[in-house]
Amino acid sequence: MSSRAVRRAALAVLLPGLGGAWAQDPETSALMLADEAPAIVERASDWHLFVEGAGGGRRRDGTAEDHWRLSVDIRYDHSLTRDWRVFMADRLDLGWPAQGGGDTAINTLKEAYLSWRARPDVMLDLGRINTRHGVASGYNPTDWFRAGALRSVVSIDPASLKENRQGSVMLRGQRLWEGGSLTALYSPGLERHPDRNGLSLDLGATNPRARWLITLGQNIGGLTPQFLVYREQGMPPQFGLNLTALVNDATVAHIEWSGGRAPSLLAQALPPPAPARAPNTWRNHLAAGITHTTSTRISLSAEYHYNGAGLDKAAWTALRHGPPTAYWQYRARARTTQEPPTRHGLFVHATWQDALIPRLDLGLMHNLDLTDASRRTWVEARYHVANLEYAVQWQRTHGRQTSQFGALPESRGWQAVVRYYR
Amino acid sequence: MTTTRHLAVRAFACIIAVLALPVLAGPDPQDILIASDAIRNPDFPFGLTNTLIEYRQGQQIGSSTLAIYSRADPDGGQFRSLVRYTAPARDANKLILFNGKDLWFFDPASKASVRLSPQQRLLGQASNGDVVTVNFARDYRAIAATDEDILDGERQRRRCTRLDLTATTAEATYHRIEMWVDSASARPVKARFFAESGKLLKTAYYRRYQEVFGIERPTETVIIDGLEPDWVTVMRYSAWVKRDVPQAWLQRDYLPRFTPE
Repeated sequence: MSSRAVRRAALAVLLPGLGGAWAQDPETSALMLADEAPAIVERASDWHLFVEGAGGGRRRDGTAEDHWRLSVDIRYDHSLTRDWRVFMADRLDLGWPAQGGGDTAINTLKEAYLSWRARPDVMLDLGRINTRHGVASGYNPTDWFRAGALRSVVSIDPASLKENRQGSVMLRGQRLWEGGSLTALYSPGLERHPDRNGLSLDLGATNPRARWLITLGQNIGGLTPQFLVYREQGMPPQFGLNLTALVNDATVAHIEWSGGRAPSLLAQALPPPAPARAPNTWRNHLAAGITHTTSTRISLSAEYHYNGAGLDKAAWTALRHGPPTAYWQYRARARTTQEPPTRHGLFVHATWQDALIPRLDLGLMHNLDLTDASRRTWVEARYHVANLEYAVQWQRTHGRQTSQFGALPESRGWQAVVRYYR
Repeated sequence: MTTTRHLAVRAFACIIAVLALPVLAGPDPQDILIASDAIRNPDFPFGLTNTLIEYRQGQQIGSSTLAIYSRADPDGGQFRSLVRYTAPARDANKLILFNGKDLWFFDPASKASVRLSPQQRLLGQASNGDVVTVNFARDYRAIAATDEDILDGERQRRRCTRLDLTATTAEATYHRIEMWVDSASARPVKARFFAESGKLLKTAYYRRYQEVFGIERPTETVIIDGLEPDWVTVMRYSAWVKRDVPQAWLQRDYLPRFTPE
């Protein structure tokens, strides 16, 4: 009998069925178990791919319906040489019924760019890049490049909204130093209007006009502030700040702010002559909150959202009771720019890793509109084993018919999701 | 006369005892801790692969493969580390930056850099401090050293020096540590980690010593949970390489660009 077989036999005696009573001396048992641990070292791959199937039921515009989806998500990150790197990320969603009455197949070219490291501290990127800023979870005022980025919405989970979006074509440069960096990018205007064709590159959605962004980050006493200046062709500059701080070993506080002279969201939504609602006055946008993590791996985040370009209670009530065309144009603009339509909101997000049993993660999200009191709740249970993930998601909205969440077409629904990673 | 002789003998004994005190006390416990740190950690920037296998009640419940890059902070001496997931596939290429209590998590799918609190564990039982390179002597003070015979990670009896460590910096992951190091070589053998309440959080065995960068270093750590001893994590280190990661890369804004080499 080999020594390995002897050890296994001993282990079997100490650990009946490898799942039963633990041996008398737990430390010896643990070390014997470690002796048997497989000596496999996984290698990194340039490819990252998953296939996801989903099906469920929902109540949409007052009618119950089933829905099905098949998605393929590919990411490729390859170093051509030590200093040159190519990156590509693409996603194809096949949906039945089709999303928003459009095509069954919606392809999202998320990224495709070339990166050059001119020096260890200087980099240049060119291509379609998903550049993302913001430290908040539910609303990101400094994430200006989110406008027009959503092409296919398969879940309202903020993580899903951030993953399934298309980048903008741009030239980006970055200079690094110890504890800080300066990034500048230019994104040209390429096409004027979005293309609803499911297989389109949709440059009209991401590059409708020229834009610039300069970002300065510097670690100052553990606060790591990030300062941003953004400019869009024909618009005044916007300024931004991202700030995080460790409150204690279990709590992180964050503030994300942007501000600048800008038209209201309503003026942006309606065709000229738009309401002369204090055009290009200074408007602030804010998301501020904390995340607390317990020793049992429960993370709770609470955020307050303020959209100075959104409508206050009186204006929102007036719009809801006014012409439907203006109302729906306004909602469409808010959806495209991923801005809240109203002034104030609350967002709560909770996750529990290894909840109740290992590999089971639970998530809960709740939005409350403080202007019209409508709300939305979303919960998820996700279990993962090996290369497979199984998830069940459920959501429900509450509110009057034309409120922020009450007007959403999907008032309630659930879906089961299976994802296979390769 | 007898009294005078007794006084003389006592005075002589006191002088001998005072002179012999440094010899009897042995080396400074903090020096032993520093020597032990030097065995676990190379004194230059380096990379390695850490394979974590997690068991509960004898059953493997998960595994992760991490590529880790570390270099000592020139100011404080503590390590800054970049951790990149290689496996499982759902986590591949996610990154964590460890810079004391300044922790950032980057997901290449969402392009989001999220600041973490030290309590946010991303790797099951293993705490952040277990996974990355840590110089204990930087964050703890060894206040006592006692010789003891214990069973080491290979279940062999070994003469060890037990060091009692107390946290001296806010960056310290644990309130108190008991650490056993080989009395002859200062190799780390075993450690017990305690919370401020005195509760045993976990026990770690450092084992499978192999020659790495010219000296024998532990290539495996076995972590046993203090409350649930059948919860075991095996961390195996391989593919050690010298890699000079520039200081400027060890920050949030570089995470989206980091690539393994």
